[in-house]
Amino acid sequence: MGTCPLYDADRKMAGKRAALKAIDWLAFAERVPPNQRAMFNNLKTRSDAIGAKLSSLPEKPVTIDWSFYKTNVARAGMVAEFESKFSALTIPEPKDTATAAINTQEAEANKAAVAYVEASKARIAQYGKELEKFQNMIPFDQMTIDDLNDTFPETKLDKEKHPYWPHKPIAEL
Amino acid sequence: MLSRVVFVSANAVKSSGPLGAGLVQLSHLHTSPSSQAPVPALPDKGGKTRHGIIPEELFQLLYPKTGVTGPYMLGAGLLTYILSKEIYIINHETFAAACMGTVIIYGVKKFGPDVAAFADKLNEEKVQKAQEVKDLAMSSLAQAIQDEKKEQWRAEGRQMLFDAKRNNVAMLLETNRRERVHMVTNEVKKRLDYQIALQNLHRRMEQEHMVNWVEKNVVTSITPQQEKASIAKCITDLKVLAKIQQAKATA
Repeated sequence: MGTCPLYDADRKMAGKRAALKAIDWLAFAERVPPNQRAMFNNLKTRSDAIGAKLSSLPEKPVTIDWSFYKTNVARAGMVAEFESKFSALTIPEPKDTATAAINTQEAEANKAAVAYVEASKARIAQYGKELEKFQNMIPFDQMTIDDLNDTFPETKLDKEKHPYWPHKPIAEL
Repeated sequence: MLSRVVFVSANAVKSSGPLGAGLVQLSHLHTSPSSQAPVPALPDKGGKTRHGIIPEELFQLLYPKTGVTGPYMLGAGLLTYILSKEIYIINHETFAAACMGTVIIYGVKKFGPDVAAFADKLNEEKVQKAQEVKDLAMSSLAQAIQDEKKEQWRAEGRQMLFDAKRNNVAMLLETNRRERVHMVTNEVKKRLDYQIALQNLHRRMEQEHMVNWVEKNVVTSITPQQEKASIAKCITDLKVLAKIQQAKATA
């Protein structure tokens, strides 16, 4: 009894089928921001369900004992016919329609991420500048009012708008 | 220098920073932000004076020429001059001025330090509030920088999401393929098993039919006479058995 070419086809195609990458869910979970945690949990449960379903199916199907059937089935030629047809049968592999979409998604996400990182770096630079300004400031007990107005322009009294002392609305005193 | 006369209580009030904005400041000559020279510190106390009004610099100025008593002699001489030449005439206003001066000096000496402390406290509070604002701003900026860095790190992990998705797709495809293979083999097996089951059923039915037919023939072949004989035999057997039982019961 030769091995069914059905299984051989699998082995030949195994190289074409994408190998499953091991995913470190812990590290992945660390990188998820808190506002996307629900989505991540959904993804994980779905992935786990799919994986469980996959592992519940045995890889090789039940082997058919042709010799037993040949000796016991009375109908002449039926078993031989079945056997020949079965060996000639190749099962078409299911088509992969989603991976292309995923790849385009990934490309877009990469672009968006690069843009985000750029913006983030700009923000960091801006924060850094402000932080530097605070660090290089002279201490408050060494400042005069002019120094204060230079460092914090919002403290400058508007002498055009309120020409008389105290140069600001009474409510703000 | 004479502007210090305006602030009579200058020696009692420690003029620091914003309160002394009107005083002549020798510091902050370089107000442009481009100059890198360090700004000299603001003076902690007001200018030193003697007897409350006369600045110390006058005494220092005259010391080399006239020694320690110089300025006093100068003052006395000036006083004599203006009195004798009647540049200042003593009248009743003089006495009023003297009384007022006494009271003022007494008041300043007694309450000056308290007022100074109060003013200083106000200033301290202002400075403290500003300091808090500054500290808060600095810490929040540092935190913001940390958060941004963390977000960048998070974005780096986007690869894993797509790996997970592709894995899911691959797993689904594999599951589907296995299902198909299983289905095919199971169907073929089912049909072959059906044939076998069918055969077994046939044999069983033939067997049963034969057995029934044999039984039926046997039953019909039993004649009524044979039946009577067998019933009589049964009755005699039963009587014997009953006797044996009675014997056993009484024994």
